[in-house]
Amino acid sequence: MAKVKVATTWLDCCSGCHMSFLDLDEALISLADVIEITASPITDIKEFSPVDVGIIEGAVGNAHDEEVAKKLRANCKILMVWGDCACFGGICTMRNLFTREEVLRRYYSTESTTKDSNIPSSEDLPPLREVKPVNQVVKVDCYVPGCPPSSKAIHYALAELLEGRIPILPSEIMRFD
Amino acid sequence: MSEITLTINDKQVKGKQGDTVLEICQANGIDVPTLCHLEGLSDVGACRMCVVEIEKERRPVPACTYPARDGLVVKTDTEQVEKYRRQILELIFTERNHFCMFCEQSGDCDLQKLAYRYQMDNVRYPYTFPSLPVDSLSDYLVIDHNRCVLCGRCIRVCSEIAASHTLDFARRGWRTLVGADLEQPLGESSCVLCGACVQACPTGAIFSKLNLYKGKTEECQQITTVCPACGVGCELNVMTKDNNLVRIEAPRLTEPRGPLCLIGRFELLRQSSTEVISPLVRDKQGKLEECSLDKAVQAITDGLGSAKGEFAGIVSPRVPNETLSLFYKFIRKTIGSDWIDSTDGGSYRIISEGIRQFQNNVKGLNIECPIEEILEADCILIAGANPEKTNPIIGSLVRRAVSQRKAKLIVIDPSGDVFPLWTNLWLKPRAGSEGVLLNGLSNIIIDKGLAKQEKIPAEFLSSLGQYKMGELNRATGIEVERLELAAEVYGQAKRGVIIYGEDLLERKDPSLVTSLLYLAELTGNRVKDRLRVISLKRYANSRGAWELGLAVKGIERDKPKGLYLLLADEPVEEELLNWLEGIDFLVVQASYHSPVTSRADVVLPSLIWAEREGKYVTMDGRSVRLKQVLKPRDGMYQDEEILIQIAKKLGRRLSLS
Repeated sequence: MAKVKVATTWLDCCSGCHMSFLDLDEALISLADVIEITASPITDIKEFSPVDVGIIEGAVGNAHDEEVAKKLRANCKILMVWGDCACFGGICTMRNLFTREEVLRRYYSTESTTKDSNIPSSEDLPPLREVKPVNQVVKVDCYVPGCPPSSKAIHYALAELLEGRIPILPSEIMRFD
Repeated sequence: MSEITLTINDKQVKGKQGDTVLEICQANGIDVPTLCHLEGLSDVGACRMCVVEIEKERRPVPACTYPARDGLVVKTDTEQVEKYRRQILELIFTERNHFCMFCEQSGDCDLQKLAYRYQMDNVRYPYTFPSLPVDSLSDYLVIDHNRCVLCGRCIRVCSEIAASHTLDFARRGWRTLVGADLEQPLGESSCVLCGACVQACPTGAIFSKLNLYKGKTEECQQITTVCPACGVGCELNVMTKDNNLVRIEAPRLTEPRGPLCLIGRFELLRQSSTEVISPLVRDKQGKLEECSLDKAVQAITDGLGSAKGEFAGIVSPRVPNETLSLFYKFIRKTIGSDWIDSTDGGSYRIISEGIRQFQNNVKGLNIECPIEEILEADCILIAGANPEKTNPIIGSLVRRAVSQRKAKLIVIDPSGDVFPLWTNLWLKPRAGSEGVLLNGLSNIIIDKGLAKQEKIPAEFLSSLGQYKMGELNRATGIEVERLELAAEVYGQAKRGVIIYGEDLLERKDPSLVTSLLYLAELTGNRVKDRLRVISLKRYANSRGAWELGLAVKGIERDKPKGLYLLLADEPVEEELLNWLEGIDFLVVQASYHSPVTSRADVVLPSLIWAEREGKYVTMDGRSVRLKQVLKPRDGMYQDEEILIQIAKKLGRRLSLS
């Protein structure tokens, strides 16, 4: 049987969900028999080719995030999101309580770790936007909340997908922290 | 109440007329999710989590406010209502900051639990992200409005249970906030810091700095014990983790003795760095030095010799009966002295003498009624007491009686500090005229024909003495109208309760107590064989100590040469400190270092409340049990063990049994 093709990416996030995925440990080995990861921050392949399952970690915080989310959506049959940021907006939405200028000033000036406290500006840098969960930008088929989701939750979701079912985490596994 | 029959989820269930649909569901084990409902508080239908379908109703209705009727057909678990509930949850989550990963209450949150229950893995609506203030100025409480769901549980517990009426909704519509008074910072408001709102809050909107990040309920051990602070004897649910105190909650928040006060809920959690952890004796230079228990015991036996025959013992009624009786035996038998007292024994002697003068009473303290009677009162007369300060739960019961049951509150106190927001009638007698005032009130009551006692004892009448309104007015400085009004209101009360306390006892005049008792007797304010009179007691086991006879004689007369003071963790009073002046040989067994221990010749360690175990007698005579919630610190001795060691050294037998 052909392997299920999977592509993953991360947007506005801390990479904790992917770390949780790696925490599957030996289960990863058996998983590798049935899935093939075509693109992922772990493999550092960033271009998406058509896959069965797309996975997004992180919220949508700028135009780049939105574009990546849309590209992956266009290339996958089923889109799954990992973590509170992707499901709800999560910790990233803290900045929605302030203006963009306030956030940048705080980051680059008051708590600065850079030498010159200038707010970087370049055409290449996508400007910050209000943080949104992924489902406000593209259609999402299934959600694995958690900050990060436990590897148990991730495993459950992947196993359900491989069985041909859209996963909804049971209450016992679901956690928001 | 007539019985009604309903059909809930196709099953016939019974309830009473007047029940809500939710109450009947809960009584019959039918699970309906709730958020703004808290047992014991009124229901308001704020959150809509408990929506159910009712036949012939056009739309789903909240079960918590829907009055049940006979023949009602209810469905609580249809796909449609479950859908609505999940949708309501999503809407609540979009309203404010309900992101759990940086919330202290995550894991102990009703909102979060509901979201798990409804497998809410995404939200279909845009979030509003309002930027709301956080009030963290109080030393005890924080209100983070961003976490609030406006369920109003804090507001209802504040008005209905604490009867402080500090919290209420402020502003309108989606700008609504929970505000203290007129949106004051909580620390500057009328808040009494009882913390009932912390326990009632279903989310992380109101929490205490003293509980912060110490542990979640599921990680804690829970032990139900009794408060070691004052004589009310509130039940505490103490949560501990790794032998540390985490949080104290009220196991029965909404019952009369249920809510806790600042001390029971918060102050007990404070860890002091000044614990006495080892015995200390004075060295040759007069400095207190750490030593072995054996050396300290030797120093005590030496000191006992020098203070021969003039040695006394004082014990704090914060220790349970078991320790008290051993201490009694220790002083009486081992030391051979009858100089023995409790730290508040002076109050006892005035109260008991007052009761004796009343009717040569054999029932002693049993003449007083249980504190629950305060809630039933239609008039409360407070004489020389400030319950809000000394026994805050009595304070909340009085406030409840006044605000909810329309009881009239008469306060005899010159200061104006007693229930300043609640008193209906002030009587501010000149210093020293309290007795004249109390007997004057009795006289007015008799004159107005309000005395319910058929036969007024002649001895009492003669003790009232001559009275003329004008003289009464001159002696007390209180207007005639006020005196008459007070006599009428109390005299006509059907369930009038008198509360007196330290400020009255400070006058050291037992006849004041007698006068109060006569006032109650005269107006027939009895409940069964008890008078509706309550004397406030300062310590958890004050009454236990008194009943054991520890305070009968007292040591107010001459000062002893030597003194054994078992202070335990009682806070040190200035008065005691002054009294200790001039005692040659002082042994202090205490939990914390204080000016008292630094005056001592020998200091011995004592357990703190959480490490102790035993029986307390509450101020109204109920036996309650103090349970050990923390294992004693390493190397600590039981309080009794030290006494036994000293006895051993003296060649005497002393045992607990």
